[in-house]
This record gives sequence, C-alpha cells and structure tokens, in this order.
Amino acid sequence: MTARRLGWLLAAPATLAVVLLLGVPVGDTFSTTFGGDGVFAQYQAFFGSRFRRAVLIRTTQIALITTILSLLIGFVTAWVVSRAPGRWKSVLIIAAVFPLLTGVVVRSFAWLVILGREGIVNETLLAVGLTSEPLTLLYTKGAVIVAMVYLFVPLMILTITGVLEGIDEDYFDAAASLGATPFARFWQIVFPLAVPGLIVGAVLVFTGSFTSYATPQLLGGESQMMMGTFLYQRAMVTFDWVGASTIAAIMTVVTVAIVWAMSRAARRLNPAAT
Amino acid sequence: MRRVHPVLIGFAVLVFAFLVGPLVIIIGASFSDTNFLTFPPRGLTTRWYENIFAVSAFTRTMGTSFTLALLGTVLSLAAGIPAAYALNRYRVELPAFLSTVFVLPILVPEIVLGFSLMKTVTTGMGVPIFASLVIGHALLVLPYCVRVVSASLASFDFSIEEAAVSLGAPRWRAFVSVVLPNIRAGVIAAFILAFITSINDVSISLFLTGPGVSTLPIQLLAHMEQFFDPTIASVSVLLMGVTVAVMAVVEWTLGLTFLTK
Amino acid sequence: MTVSLTLENIDAHYGATQVLEDLSLHVAEGELVSLLGASGCGKTTTLRLVAGFLRATRGSIRLGAQDLTRLPAHKRNIGLVFQNYALFPHLSVRDNVAFGLKQRGVGGAARRRQADEMLARVGLDHLAERMPGALSGGQKQRVALARALVIDPPLLMFDEPLSNLDAKLRVDMRVEIRRLQRVGGRTALYVTHDQEEAFSISDRVAIMHAGRILQLDAPERLYSRPANRFVADFVGFENVLAMRAVVEAGDAVRARMNGGATLDLPKADYTLPARDFLFAARADGLTVARQGHGIPAKLGLRTYLGRAYQYRCETAAGEIVANGPLSDPLEPGTQAVLIPQADQCCLLPLE
Repeated sequence: MTARRLGWLLAAPATLAVVLLLGVPVGDTFSTTFGGDGVFAQYQAFFGSRFRRAVLIRTTQIALITTILSLLIGFVTAWVVSRAPGRWKSVLIIAAVFPLLTGVVVRSFAWLVILGREGIVNETLLAVGLTSEPLTLLYTKGAVIVAMVYLFVPLMILTITGVLEGIDEDYFDAAASLGATPFARFWQIVFPLAVPGLIVGAVLVFTGSFTSYATPQLLGGESQMMMGTFLYQRAMVTFDWVGASTIAAIMTVVTVAIVWAMSRAARRLNPAAT
Repeated sequence: MRRVHPVLIGFAVLVFAFLVGPLVIIIGASFSDTNFLTFPPRGLTTRWYENIFAVSAFTRTMGTSFTLALLGTVLSLAAGIPAAYALNRYRVELPAFLSTVFVLPILVPEIVLGFSLMKTVTTGMGVPIFASLVIGHALLVLPYCVRVVSASLASFDFSIEEAAVSLGAPRWRAFVSVVLPNIRAGVIAAFILAFITSINDVSISLFLTGPGVSTLPIQLLAHMEQFFDPTIASVSVLLMGVTVAVMAVVEWTLGLTFLTK
Repeated sequence: MTVSLTLENIDAHYGATQVLEDLSLHVAEGELVSLLGASGCGKTTTLRLVAGFLRATRGSIRLGAQDLTRLPAHKRNIGLVFQNYALFPHLSVRDNVAFGLKQRGVGGAARRRQADEMLARVGLDHLAERMPGALSGGQKQRVALARALVIDPPLLMFDEPLSNLDAKLRVDMRVEIRRLQRVGGRTALYVTHDQEEAFSISDRVAIMHAGRILQLDAPERLYSRPANRFVADFVGFENVLAMRAVVEAGDAVRARMNGGATLDLPKADYTLPARDFLFAARADGLTVARQGHGIPAKLGLRTYLGRAYQYRCETAAGEIVANGPLSDPLEPGTQAVLIPQADQCCLLPLE
C-alpha cells in the first residue's frame, strides 16, 4: 500500500464524518434558503425586515464591543501573566483556565444572580444609599455584554499569553541595548510581534459572541434578541424552518468570512509569523 | 527585565477578582437557606444539594451527559488519532486543505450545526435522538481531538517508528507500542478537553434533545425558567467540582501550562 | 572617540546562587579583550552585567568616566552582537540597522542613509529591503554587526557571535570582526568558548572559571606562561608534576619529583614560586631520547602525529605524555630519558 493510500485511509473516518454529517446537513440547510419567490427571496425578506436587520445589527454590535473590551482587558492581563515569576504564573494560568472549563450555563447564570433585582449589585447600591429602588439591569444590552466579556476574557488571556511567551527575550535585550526605552520596546517590538496573535484571539471572541445562544437567552431575553436566540425561536417556537435556515446561513457566512479575512490579514501584517 | 508597572499589576488583580468572583458567589448562593437565589447566603444548608438527586430530571440528565461525553469523545478520538497521524506522517502526500476539513466543526457555528443535524439527520433520516446527540457531540469535539493530538505528533520523531519496523514489528504494532505511548500526553489532553467541552455544551444539544433525552446543561436552562431556586447554584457547583477534579488530574499528569497553546 | 572599561570587585547573583565572585577587569581604550571559558564559567554573565541586563550585588562598572553601575540598559550606549543575532523579525534589514538611530531621534532620511552606508561597509547593501527570515546565518551576523556599529558606540560587546556558523565562515567572520574593531579603534569585549577564536583576534584574553578570572594576559603569554594549573590545563599542557626544590646546583636548582627522579632547572629559564611547586610540560616540551639529563621513563604506546611521534611513558612519578623526533622511532618497552625544553615548560604554584 502506498503512503498516499494509507494516509487517505487513516484520514478517511474523520473526513467522511465531517463531509457526511456536517457537510451534507449544513449544505442542506443552505439549499433550503434558496428558492420560493426567486433565488434570494429569503434573504430579501430577511434584509427587508426592520426587525430582522435590527437583530443582525445588535448581534454585530454586541460582538464587536465584547471583542474590543476582551482585547483590552485580556492584553493587559496577559502582559502581567507572561512576566510573572514561575510559581505565580502557574497559579494565574489556572485561575484563567478554570472559568473556561466551567461551561457557559454556569458562567452566564452567575450574572443573573449578580444583576437581578434582588442581586448583589442592587443590594449593594440600596445598602449604600445610591439608589432607592432596585434597578432593572437584566435583559439589557449591557447585561449581555458584561456576561459575554466575562465569558471570553479567559480565552483572550490564554491566547495572548501564549503569543507573548513566544516572543524571544533576546529581542527585548537587543532593543534595550540599542537605546529603546521600556515604552519603545513595547510599542516597536512587542506589539507588532503580538498582533497576529491578537487577531486570532479577536476572531475567536467575535465569532464566539456572534453565534452565542445561552448568554443572550438568559440575560437578554426577548428584548435583546441576537442571531442565536432568533434562530432557536424561528426553529422551535414558530417552526419556520426556512426562516431559521436563512438565519443559520447568514451566521455561517459571517463567521467564515471573518476567519478567512483574519488569516489573510495576519499573514500580511507580520511576515515572520509562521 | 521582568519588571511590571504596579498599575498594570493592580489591573490584573482586579481582572482575576472579576473572573473568580461570580463563581464564588454561586458557591455561596448554593448554601443559602432561602427559596430564592441570594448572596451572601442567608442561613446555611445543604438541602439544595440533596434536591439535585431528588429531582429525577437532574439525575437522569447527568447520566445522559456523562455517557454522551464518553461516547462522543471516544468516537472522536477513534477517528481523530488516525487523522492526526496521517496529517503529520503523510503531510507531503495529502492535500493541504485536509487539515481545514477537520477544523470545520469549529468554523461552522455550533448552533447552525445543531439545527442542521436536527433537520437532516433526526427529522429527515429518522435517526434516534440519542444517536443524533452522539453524532453532534462527536463532531463538536473532533477538532480538539485532531488538533491536540496533531500538536503532540508534530514534535514526534518518526524515525523511532521506522526503527521498530526495521526490528520486525508490523506497522500497526509499531504504532501501538511505539507511537501511542509517546503521544500519550496529547491524547490525554485531547480526551479531557473534549470531555469537558461535551459535558458543558448547550448549542448543539439545544436542538437535539427531546422527550426523555436531555443533557444536564439543557435541563439546567429549563429548570431556570421554571424554578429560580438555589438548586441551579448547587448543580453549577457540582459541575465546577467535576471540572476541578478533571483539572487536578491534568495538573498531576501533565502540568497545566500545556494549555497556553 | 573610544573609552576604557573598568569592572571593580564585582559580585553577581542569580537568586541565591553566586555567579561572579570579586571580579575585576580593565579593558584599555581600543583594546579587544576576550572572555574565554566553558559553559557556566560566568563569561556571558559578565557581558550581560556590563550591558545592564543584570545588576551587580557588589562592585562598580565604569565606561571611561561614566559610572554604569546603576544605569538602565537602554541608556548605556553599548553596541551588542548576540549569539542568535536577535534581528527583529518584523523589520527589514535596513530598519533593523536603523533601529538604534531611531531611538536616538535621528530623522527618517538621515537614518536611511546611515543604515545603508553601514550595510555597504559590511557588504550587504543589496539586501537592505529583505526580511531577516530570508537571510543566511552569515548574512544575519553581518546585519547584527552593522546594527551595533551604526550607533557609533564607545564599547562593542560580542556574545559568542560565531558559534552558530559553520567552521569556514567562523574563521572569515572573526577576521572581519577584528578588522572592523581595529579600523574604528573601538574598545571591545568578546565572549567565546573557542580558544582558537579568542587567541587569534584578541589583544588580551581572560580565562574564566566558576565566576572568577584565572588569568588575564596576551594570548602568547597565556600559551607559554600559564599562571596556574587550571589555565595550564586549559591551554594544553599535557603534563603536570608535583616537585620539591632540594638543593642549589650551580646556576640551577635541583628539584625532586615523586618517585625520586630529579631535574636541574636553570635559574635563567625558571623562577621558583615556592619550595613545593608544579612543573608543567607540554608533550612537545619533553623530548624522548635514548640518553641525556632528564626524567627516566619506560616507553609505552607510540602514536604518529605527522610532525613527531608521541609516546605514553611510564615513570616513577606517573604517566607522562612526551614527543620524540620522526628520525628515531623507539619501540614500546625501551628505557628512555625525557629531556625538558625550557620554552615549552613552566613552573606553577601548588594549589
């Protein structure tokens, strides 16, 4: 048996699984969206509806804000973690990883407790006297964003820490020997070398928050509908499978397009990146 | 030159407090002797933990989630390990886009995958619900299985496999006795990552659960809509406990800095 | 414009471990001094200390009139060439070379011009637009050199710059480095573990071991007049024998070694450090002869060196390695005499 044949044979089960059990069903979902009153009728209906456009815009907004906040918070934290001495570093990485492994339901639910009318925030504000009545913090865009940032910051921290660790210490020393101040070392050496990793992290967070279900469901409710919750509603509540497929198709296209754009950008921005 | 500005350190401390705080709150709320969720807890009791086992929906779905995670992970590894091996050993002979194929389940939104599976496989082909769930979860974790094992194989010296063959071992025996033991770390890491991902999954299970078959996170979501009581907190703590146990195993066998990849 | 470098009584620690002990060193203006030693001897630590990447726990560092001891690394204005080149992967060759100029506020056009000029001097002006990833090892080394030189530093430091290059390139590059250093008249500190490299290009060499300098001297003196046993061993003295001065015999001193054999050491050639001392001899410094005044020995295994024969000799003082002329090969088992040649032998203190 030739190497080539053996290679394909070994890769076959996984490849077939993906092609048949992912490719076909998702392809079928896509094909459902074409047809009716003209090939793109479903999409025209989607973009023609103000409500549906609003859902898409809101989802994009929330995903964007979440990504930017996660980037800023994650970068600073990752910087500190990457420069921490040995034992501390392990502790910090564990602390960053642990939330990631507890699951989306637990982590979103925590914010229900914190932001609810009888939650900690309100209790504290009332106790301190800053408000006289509990605030409605839940089912707002802000609540969703806070919970999403909470969800994705650990991922960002881990990604960026990995990137910063990969930057050879010699570069710092060389830059310093050439007269670069600590800030110049950061801005001219570290940051450019970290950018490809930052892009990867940003894409992971953006696509993750864009396609999120559990968090907007728990914290956004009907008034803050996002693409994920919208898809569920169309599919399982109104049984409009064609409409649901349209939403699914749009979500997939957005995700794939962004990932594709990312890999192009990362490659161009830093030719040293492997 | 490892000095960090104290302001940055302060910020990082706040961030970690932000990350850990809500989990502490959940733990506290789970012991509250009230019928609603509150923190700090008022009165301490373990009845919400007992309640988990009293509610048959929870015990049933715990079993389902566990079995599902196990089955899904094992199936995924069974397909993923050979695929990872092929990608590394036969990199030249196989097309470059193949590695992208195995990443597709991450590329395609989970919720879209769950919905599509329900439409085509469960409803369209009449595949039973549990089987559909297994398929969905196995697909979900396939990229982790392939990627993590692949990373292990990337640093594997294939010449020791050739040495085994030259000493008389047939290819499959060489694989089992020489390759597998040396990528043990990668396989274990993949197993753990996949298992946890499956246990915690919502977006795929969402569409694939049905009468009598549900997973723990989905059940939790449902419970939350009806009863907003501390049982949710205690189930969450239970899930956290499982995670801690798993992480302890990882730390003990591999060391956690492995995960910054 | 060049200066001298002075280190005085330097102690340095990594955590609790002491890595440099009471180290003092003076490099004169325009001099190239090498720090030579095996891994872990402290040579790189010394370099990093002068560069500012490590703080001394005791002692001072002065560059000319300037006290560097507490000065942060980026203010020290020292040109550094790294073992792994440390070229910034995201900047072109030209931008790499211009980096130091940029930090000094030199404007864009002037930077470009100076960088290009320096690249021309190292023969790489045609590669100015390339990225470091596309360069060979030798080319990267020359870019690293250009980058360090363009800022016109009063001191140059090299951290094993050639160890990642192949043998032929190493020889060419070390000559190039020496030439550039000489032309600029720049003071330089050079770290290496390669003895031939250090000896070939340095004005003086410091042999280091366990955080201390064991001898700092011109290569010629190190080679023929090591100051202690470690250095003698390091520069290739194959034989070291313990001896005790017994009596004066005319214009020589008679000394006895273990086993009873004696040697007459002319006062014109040898100065005794103490009554008990070590006699160090290269294999070339002990000529194997059928008779004469020297150490009695029974010859063992003979090997052919091309320029001479080498014999393993059994003596009352132990095994000795000695060379004999090609004209008179002797058989194993022969009783012979090993005659010391003063220019290849020396006396060392007992430690």
